[in-house]
Amino acid sequence: MNDAQIAKDPAAGAGTGAFRLPQAAIGLLLMLPAISLLLLLTLYPVLYGVWISFFDKHSFFPQQTFIGFGNYVFLVRDPEFWAAVWRGAIYALSTIILQLGLGVAAALLLNEFFPGRGILRAIVVFPYVVPTVVAVIVWKWLLDGQFGIINYLIERAGLVDRPISFMGKDWIMVSLIMVSVWQFFPFVVIGVLARLQTIPEELYDAAKVDGAGVWQRFVHVTLPQLKSVLFVIVLLRSIWMFTKFDTPWLMIQGGGAETYIRTLPIYTYMRTFAYYEAGLGSAMAVVMFLALAGAATAYFRLWRREEYL
Amino acid sequence: MNRVLGVFSLRSQAVLLAALALLVFAAFPFAWMASTALKPSREIFSTPPTLWPTHVTVDNIVRLFAETRFLVYFRNSLTVSFATVCLTLLVSVPAAYSLTRFRFRGREQIAGLILFTYMFAPIMIIIPFYVAMRFLGLTNTHAGLILAYTAFCLPFNLWLLRTYFQSIPLEIEEAALLDGSRWQAILYVVLPLALPGVAATAIFTFILAWNDYIFARILLSADELKTLPVGIADLYNASVVDWGMIMAAGLLVIVPVAAVFVFIQKFIVAGLGSGGLKG
Repeated sequence: MNDAQIAKDPAAGAGTGAFRLPQAAIGLLLMLPAISLLLLLTLYPVLYGVWISFFDKHSFFPQQTFIGFGNYVFLVRDPEFWAAVWRGAIYALSTIILQLGLGVAAALLLNEFFPGRGILRAIVVFPYVVPTVVAVIVWKWLLDGQFGIINYLIERAGLVDRPISFMGKDWIMVSLIMVSVWQFFPFVVIGVLARLQTIPEELYDAAKVDGAGVWQRFVHVTLPQLKSVLFVIVLLRSIWMFTKFDTPWLMIQGGGAETYIRTLPIYTYMRTFAYYEAGLGSAMAVVMFLALAGAATAYFRLWRREEYL
Repeated sequence: MNRVLGVFSLRSQAVLLAALALLVFAAFPFAWMASTALKPSREIFSTPPTLWPTHVTVDNIVRLFAETRFLVYFRNSLTVSFATVCLTLLVSVPAAYSLTRFRFRGREQIAGLILFTYMFAPIMIIIPFYVAMRFLGLTNTHAGLILAYTAFCLPFNLWLLRTYFQSIPLEIEEAALLDGSRWQAILYVVLPLALPGVAATAIFTFILAWNDYIFARILLSADELKTLPVGIADLYNASVVDWGMIMAAGLLVIVPVAAVFVFIQKFIVAGLGSGGLKG
């Protein structure tokens, strides 16, 4: 029942008296706790973060000096910042591509009939719901340079002569990407699988009648149907991979190769909580936010243009 | 042999093989963790490694309880996670109900704002958040952590609950209103119908609070206040890594998640599809 209907039909309006506008006060009252929490603990910190990004501010002590765009100018000239941007881009892009490839393949597989499918569907989701710290320590043990099972297996298989130092500088990025893909590909599986189950069988039958092979059916029937869900998945996964902090941070612990996976979120954290430069850290958070907002806008535009084609 | 191959066509053989590979990829790390956790120290480092422990022992778990503050961390995690769930529901259920049942100025803007805040990643709000918490004197308290989780989960929870409330036809509620007060209608008609949504929200919130590392790392410094993820990370960093004990800790941390997960797998899968857990 909408406003217009209520206005036209006074009897109906009376019947739904409890839902009429005078009750707006109650509506707002019920909203109040949630809205004040959001304003106080999310929106206010973000705005405050923008504010302190213009100050030379210590992380613990109240002293602060206004320096305008000083922090931003520093960042533009800071080679470590650009290196962190570069590492972050490598990390995010490679994990996103691998998650998507593996996730879509796994979803296609889990959409087939085979014994034990239900259990496998449940098991596949599991890496996504365990704490990051567990995912990381398990993989550190699997990839251990001395006693790791993976080193044992690849040595036995004759692939390498000596154990690989997976946490060393040459391999740490590869290891980090491996752990991240394992941890996050289930997200893609869930989204894609849910969509696959709603594709009408007739579409495939029609394609078969037209003589389309497996690959052609995938490209011309499945992919177009998956487009909208992939759009959302790519958007969310990109936001979360470019801002991922805990997985790389926990991977770094206890190794000497930290500089090789120091992505932008890690560098932001270090500047704030190791060098106590909250102003500079905030400036990086703002840069991250603006870059993501810009990329998201461009992404939406591109997508919409394609819709019209 | 040919007959067997006939029954399983080439295609279904390929499917089974791929399924096996997927199973190993997803599950082997957990199996290896459990295996290591239940092995005596010397067997952990033996060559060739054994997948099934030849001597099953709970020694690692006993040592974990005796030599570390694992149980303290465990209790902290439980307290914080449960309190977060309660506070979240207390705040978000009325708000979501209000968003679907009342018309007031700014309602659409509020809905938009909720979706917008959902885009914030922890690293983008953690610095000003920390400064604000310090100002309020809430660093190094569980209350601060609970508030942080509640605020962080809120956007998604509101969004999820809103869709559940929207799916409950107004007519049912109106019929109930004729017989009683609005509060009775909510209590006896609306909430029971929305229960699956409320349960899903509670579960996601619990898992988020249970798994979080970054907020707990930054807001808590006293050892006796730490939650499990931070406690375990510190245990790992403390000295020479005691793999048996660390794997036992990992195993025990995922037990509650696994228990919740097995019972309500359907909820999780449905909600994850809509972005249920950030990460």
